[in-house]
Amino acid sequence: MSSQTSTVTTHSSRAGGRAGAGRPQVAPDRRRIEFKWIVLTIFIIVYALIPLAWILSLSFKSPAAVTDGKLIPTDPSLENYRTIFTTGVFVRPLINSIGITIISTVIAVALATLAAYAIARLNFPGKRLVLTAALAIAMFPPISIVGPLFNMWRSLGLYDTWPGLIIPYMTFALPMSIWVLSAFFREIPWELEQAAGVDGATPFQAFRKVIVPLAAPGVFTAAILVFFFAWNDFVFAITLTSTDRSRTVPAALNFFTGASQFQQPTGAISAAAIIVTIPIILLVLAFQRRIVAGLTAGAVKG
Amino acid sequence: MAALLLLPLLAACGGGGGGVPTLNWYIGKQSGGWIENAITECNKQAGGKYKIQFQELPKRATDQREQLVRRLAANDSSIDIVGMDVIWTAEFANAKWIVPFPDSERAALTDGVLKGPVESGTYQNKLYAAPFTSNTQLLWYRKDLVAAPPPDFTWQQMIDTAAGLGKKVQIQGARAESLNVTFNALLESSGGRFLDNPEAGKNATISLEPGPTTKALAALSNFANSPVASPELNTAEEDTSRAAFEKGDSVYEINYPFIYPSAASATAVPDLQKKLGWARFPRVDANIPSRPPLGGFNLSVGSHSTHKAEAFQAIQCIRQPANQLFAAEKGGNPPTTSAVYDQLTTDQYPFKDVLRSSINDAAPRPVSPAYNDLSLALQNVIHPLNSFDPAAAAVALRKLCEQALKSEAVLS
Amino acid sequence: MTNVTDAPQIARPTAKQNKLTDRDKAERRLGIRLVLPAAIVMALVTIYPICYAIWLSLQRYNLRFPDDRKYVWFGNYTKILSSGVFWQVFTNTIAITVISVVIEFVLGLALALVMHRAIFGRNIVRTSILIPYGIITVVAAFAFRFAVSPDEGGFLFKHASTPPLSSHYGSLAVIILTEVWKTTPFMSLLLLAGLATVPNELVEAAKVDGASAWQRLLKVILPTMKSAVMVALLFRTLDAIRIFDTVYIQTKGANNTATLSQLGYNQLINQLNLGLGSAVSVLLFLLVVLIAFIFVKGFRTDLGAVRGER
Repeated sequence: MSSQTSTVTTHSSRAGGRAGAGRPQVAPDRRRIEFKWIVLTIFIIVYALIPLAWILSLSFKSPAAVTDGKLIPTDPSLENYRTIFTTGVFVRPLINSIGITIISTVIAVALATLAAYAIARLNFPGKRLVLTAALAIAMFPPISIVGPLFNMWRSLGLYDTWPGLIIPYMTFALPMSIWVLSAFFREIPWELEQAAGVDGATPFQAFRKVIVPLAAPGVFTAAILVFFFAWNDFVFAITLTSTDRSRTVPAALNFFTGASQFQQPTGAISAAAIIVTIPIILLVLAFQRRIVAGLTAGAVKG
Repeated sequence: MAALLLLPLLAACGGGGGGVPTLNWYIGKQSGGWIENAITECNKQAGGKYKIQFQELPKRATDQREQLVRRLAANDSSIDIVGMDVIWTAEFANAKWIVPFPDSERAALTDGVLKGPVESGTYQNKLYAAPFTSNTQLLWYRKDLVAAPPPDFTWQQMIDTAAGLGKKVQIQGARAESLNVTFNALLESSGGRFLDNPEAGKNATISLEPGPTTKALAALSNFANSPVASPELNTAEEDTSRAAFEKGDSVYEINYPFIYPSAASATAVPDLQKKLGWARFPRVDANIPSRPPLGGFNLSVGSHSTHKAEAFQAIQCIRQPANQLFAAEKGGNPPTTSAVYDQLTTDQYPFKDVLRSSINDAAPRPVSPAYNDLSLALQNVIHPLNSFDPAAAAVALRKLCEQALKSEAVLS
Repeated sequence: MTNVTDAPQIARPTAKQNKLTDRDKAERRLGIRLVLPAAIVMALVTIYPICYAIWLSLQRYNLRFPDDRKYVWFGNYTKILSSGVFWQVFTNTIAITVISVVIEFVLGLALALVMHRAIFGRNIVRTSILIPYGIITVVAAFAFRFAVSPDEGGFLFKHASTPPLSSHYGSLAVIILTEVWKTTPFMSLLLLAGLATVPNELVEAAKVDGASAWQRLLKVILPTMKSAVMVALLFRTLDAIRIFDTVYIQTKGANNTATLSQLGYNQLINQLNLGLGSAVSVLLFLLVVLIAFIFVKGFRTDLGAVRGER
């Protein structure tokens, strides 16, 4: 009797450890259920990756083979990759994208960190106003300010420049960063800061020496999300730029021309698309937990 | 933050010291290398006074315009020479984005040049765009299937002949500028026109008399609803028509001459090129000579350019007959100077006489600063081609064009 | 002396209260100072331009006709609201929004349920669904465009007489498909977080009471995570209304598939019609505000969580 019980106990504790709280143990159906989950998981992965796989396949097809409609290229070639890196149609936009995105991320996260700390920790008039305004900006249609920005940048000489894009990117990245960061800051134990205060530190010193190391993961997450946002932007990129001086990759993809007047640049666009997706994939692979935490932190308090 | 703003600006301001001025020539990508050739030739002839540089614009005319208008409106001083589509002259001139050629240079740029192209570059009696290359659409037919069309061959006869043989006719019906090309030719061939007084520029009035307009629309509508229309008619652009004709089940095609060299390498029909015949754009009314469509590239000087004098000189060089000959032979773009036609070989251009007379008699699309709006209005009313009633559409078109002329219609 | 005792209402701050007030004041000053840079940036780059846009929308101002600038007050708005093209575009936008959000919600919920209860492979699933989220929208739009266009390497619909992107409904379908593919993961993550707040005892109790899986979902799980659902729907709806990238890359508004953002873009950048284009932009902005208002006041979406008050 006891051995049977212990077997059952061991059995259920093993299964319980894997499945998490509240999962009923159903031994005979387990194999069938597992199969169902496997199928579902595979289905989900395929769903997520098929378009990417298709672009990858197109990027390895030479211009003649592009229209053969096969998923696996019969004669893979690096011609498209060579084209985009040697004809100057992609390198400069890539540099623009990298530079503008990084600068926007740094500034946005810096400003948001200051603001989020204040919102999570301090009491001051206008706090609710700022949060509401941030929320409002997140809902803003970018196209609504494209016209005024075009005209403003035209007169200020910011049209087709890096700052011309950095400024709107920063602005629209602020709400999301402030939410993510204030959610993270709220998780940090208050006592630590109070302890520092008792030790004689001013609020600012408490911030620098105690909070910052604890907040670093949150800052990092916010930076990743801002990076995604700026890397991805298209509206501002095509309306506020007109030359390679500041055109970023999403806008440049639109301008790829084929080798001749009548040829489609499908292969070149695909190759460029893959190159520009690689950083995304790397970030997702390395930081998927953080990204998920960041996305859900602001939206729902669990 | 202020420093951050200033740095890239300063960086952008770098460069451009003394030395040979660079003239940026903005023009869409073309095949055949005739742009590069013109640039090499003219840089040689410049003898160090200037250096022309090719700045590539997107392939399609609408995309080129999208890029140009934005930058010209932003007072871009790097735009020296503009490769102008023939329809942009009035718009760019009225917006003061291009400068007219000095009267002293006008003669050199228009002597011996065919009428159509000169008209397309003129606005309010000034020459704003110097003719360089031209283009028009001819009626191509399968010599082995039908007889040569008589001089007064009409659209309806074309439809009936093809239908009788159970074959198709290829034209461009996509919702794009090509539709305006076709319709404008039909309208002018019916004796009508878009504008009463194009010289009045902004204050011109819409013509679009009901009689000719309805006739032109009826020709188009009958075509679209007949069995000779291709199933892809409503998305067919120039290349689609070419490819479809090469498949072999069409007997007529209305398209630019680029299809002729391509026919030599067509595989579905053996010896297709040898079986090709050509004639002038068909008439709408048997008694009125047709007015073929007009295309091509002109050359203008940007009004914010800092090297206008050099740009004027460069244009004189670029458009010279020798470069037009190269463009014709290697790029398939017909010349604008009449004498160059005599230098074309009959191997490459057996149709050069029809070509020359077509371009000379061609009707430019309406010369108006609001041309873009008129173009969109037309597409709005008549696309898809099998969806409108000619009489009703004529009325709707007139109304919408009147609004469009004042830039007051909301057209996507 | 008598005066002081006769007036006890004067609340003189004690020494202890003084210290708190000082620290309070320091806290307030610091708070405002820390928030100010972000607030200034946000104000300058959104409030100023939207006011500028409103001002522009009251004028007839086309950069191609620089001499014709003048005030027409609400003339632009009447022109737009009485234009058939505008209402077609409006309908397109609403249709795309409603259909894609509904599909995304259903699929996202299913995906969230799977992730919530999956025994294994959670990491792989989460990683792979972050790919559509992170991928550049333009790249996704190209991917789907290429897949359905025979002359651009397509492998779907190779034998259809009209490729999807040449017809009105076909194009709308491709656009919606692209949007759904790309944003369902985001929706599912928000819903997953909401699912995690549903106490298991509630679900178990319902099961014991004999409720079927459907009933458990509709009557127990969804109502309990209502706030997460509403927030997810609100954000996705607002995103969908503003759709631009996918439409631009796949059809550029051809086949009557233009959306409000595309219309605004065409007027502003193609026609350089700053007056009319700004009016379209302002209308879109008002539409967004209206929808947010409906969600918050009408469906009582609780944005308190998002504002960080809970």
